[in-house]
Amino acid sequence: MDGPLKELAKLEKLTSDTGSSKGKSPSTTTSLDSLLQSLRQARDRLQAGELASADVLSSLSQTVELKKKDVEERQKEIYSCINKYGKALDKKFPTFLPSYPPLFSSSESSIALERTIALHFLRTGQFETAETFIEESGVHVDRRLHDNFIDLHHIITALRQGNIAPALEWTGRNRGFLQSRSSALEFHLHRSQYMHLLLNSGIPTALTYAQSTFPTFFAQHESEIKRLTACMVFLPLTRLKTSPYKDLVSPSIHSDLEPMFAKEYCASLGMSRQVPLRVVGDIGGGGALARIEKGRKVMRERKSEWSQSDELPIEIPLPPENRYHSIFACPVSKEQSTEQNPPMMMSCGHVITKDSLQKLSKPGGRVKCPYCPVESAVTSALRVHF
Amino acid sequence: MSANRLNVDGIMLFEQPFARVPYEDYRKVFRTSQKYVEKELGAVQTSCGDLSKRVNLGTVTAEDAAKGIDGMIARVETLKRKLSELQDSAGAPTLGVMRERLEHLAQVESIQSTTEPEFARWADVRLDRWLVDWALRNGKEQTARTLAEHKGIQRLVDIDLFSDIRRIEDALRNQSCTEALAWCSENRNALRKIKNTLEFDLRLQEYIELIRTGKRIEAIAYSKKHLIAWQSTHQQQIRTAAALLCFPPKTTCGPYKRLYDKGRWKNLADSFRLAIYNLSTLPTEPLLHLAMYAGLASLKLPTCYDPETRNADCPICDPDLGRLAQEVPFSHHVNSTIVCRLNGKIMDADNMPMAFPQSGQVYSKEALGEMAAKNDGFVTCPRTGEQCEFSALRKVFIS
Ligand SMILES: [Zn+2]
Repeated sequence: MDGPLKELAKLEKLTSDTGSSKGKSPSTTTSLDSLLQSLRQARDRLQAGELASADVLSSLSQTVELKKKDVEERQKEIYSCINKYGKALDKKFPTFLPSYPPLFSSSESSIALERTIALHFLRTGQFETAETFIEESGVHVDRRLHDNFIDLHHIITALRQGNIAPALEWTGRNRGFLQSRSSALEFHLHRSQYMHLLLNSGIPTALTYAQSTFPTFFAQHESEIKRLTACMVFLPLTRLKTSPYKDLVSPSIHSDLEPMFAKEYCASLGMSRQVPLRVVGDIGGGGALARIEKGRKVMRERKSEWSQSDELPIEIPLPPENRYHSIFACPVSKEQSTEQNPPMMMSCGHVITKDSLQKLSKPGGRVKCPYCPVESAVTSALRVHF
Repeated sequence: MSANRLNVDGIMLFEQPFARVPYEDYRKVFRTSQKYVEKELGAVQTSCGDLSKRVNLGTVTAEDAAKGIDGMIARVETLKRKLSELQDSAGAPTLGVMRERLEHLAQVESIQSTTEPEFARWADVRLDRWLVDWALRNGKEQTARTLAEHKGIQRLVDIDLFSDIRRIEDALRNQSCTEALAWCSENRNALRKIKNTLEFDLRLQEYIELIRTGKRIEAIAYSKKHLIAWQSTHQQQIRTAAALLCFPPKTTCGPYKRLYDKGRWKNLADSFRLAIYNLSTLPTEPLLHLAMYAGLASLKLPTCYDPETRNADCPICDPDLGRLAQEVPFSHHVNSTIVCRLNGKIMDADNMPMAFPQSGQVYSKEALGEMAAKNDGFVTCPRTGEQCEFSALRKVFIS
């Protein structure tokens, strides 16, 4: 943004009264003040009758002419600066956004979109905006879900203030669910509380807390519990900070609880761990649209239509956290597996699609793996599910 | 990881209107200041010249001449006041908005990876901006205002622009061209540059309405005053318009019936919206839609629509977003990516895929290993219930 920012700084100086020295011409205020002064002097002289009126006025005419020119000069300077700023913007933003036919405009789609947006507001704790939106759009949001999000927000706010009680109450009620996910949330809540007590209330208080809470977690978190108690020997904090236990005093031990809690809470409602609208927006607005447009342009230039109009012409790279499903592309045919053409694992462990397997099979129902020399019976290939 | 590297160009593709809207505002402020200067200083110059002449001719006393100068002083003072008011109420605030927006964009330029917390904060604000833009375009002004106020991003969104659009569109819907014509005259040069002829269409409509209400003489005068100027580009339409004088509003004759059609008002509102978007480089679709189109298409897979392979973490697998994704193409992949359905991690040589020997269900070695460690070396497939020893799992090779 350096280009536009540089031009903007010039424009700011040119248009502010204090920056008069920066322009080639005097500032408009300076010119007008000086004009006013000349006008007043001329008037006073006329009234005093010191000089011949004609002389006063001919000199005044010259001043008016001059000052008008000064003001116009400054205007010109500003105008050229505005244009330079515009050019800097053009350079910085060389591409226009593409135009698309109306999207998501059918009534089903617009209801789906409105519900997505309402849930987004609720999920991100923007309750007042959510209320306004629900009222304005008339979108229906399940009341229970709505209350759940208020509950979630309440717990998260408490966590942010260092109060883990509401969170613990929830984990207590949902212990079975959390165990089925082998979630460490409850233990991490206690860990945060324990470290807080250790650093703020002293060893005895922390130990009492440890005795009352840690035993239930011993089976799963034995080594961490040992570390939590062992770190005491490095107190005070300044020494602990340079010890092998310094990770236990990192603020993230507390701040990570918020996203961790939100993730489990949403999972308990059958909702995704990330905010879906953010995920979709970040991918679309993080290069995907630019890539799709580029891909389309290349296609147009080659005058070739997409072979499959229901599939993008190019691959959009996705970060690992946004890979939600397995994709199997057959190394032989390069085709993606489908229900009709599923992935098959030969006895050597290599996987190809069923169609490729059939094509490679020899009389007698044997197939030689194209990746290792192992030969096996076609019938011994196992359909795998990713 | 390269997939996490920030694609600044891709991000900036969306930001042209964000930078452009306040810039256009500032140009308008400047034009207003120019008008003030021309008007007041021009007048001062003229009266000074006149006075000078009359003094030379001796037709005015020194006292009257002094009074004449008082008039000039008043004008210069008015100009000073007007310019300073303009700077305070519009100039400086608009420059402030321009700076804030450029700085907001500069922020993202300095971020390297999408995994940085700064990016998450920046992207939150961006999504809020898109939501405000969406709400404003969809007539949800209260939502837009509440959101902008709660997030403190009023200067990063174009509420004023859209309430202007709304006001003018409402007027057109109520069959008044006055507001839209005023907008056209404010933006005449810019409209001419992009060869936009909205103004002609508005003038034509006012002419049609005069005829509709039987004011034929006024219509002819109106045409002389406002339509003839477009003769070089709109000769055909002007001729048809002239002939309209001979057809009553109930006519069944094609071209004239179309001119009387009340549906033209809606078209005018649409053309107006298109023109103002065009001047501000705003896309015709909400920014949120464009981002969603690309985002949904990047993620969409046939497996998202199969209950067997549904993943609650996947946006497309959400029923509502999945519904929206029906409007976009599927993603395209040349290489295999095998994602563990137990822990969501991508499998590779270090974390091999392992298949249950009977059901062929594949999970990552890491997740199955963890399961085995807790269950005396045994693993159970959560989908099929198949149970076996960890050592009985088969290694899967994906080339
Ligand atoms: Zn999916």
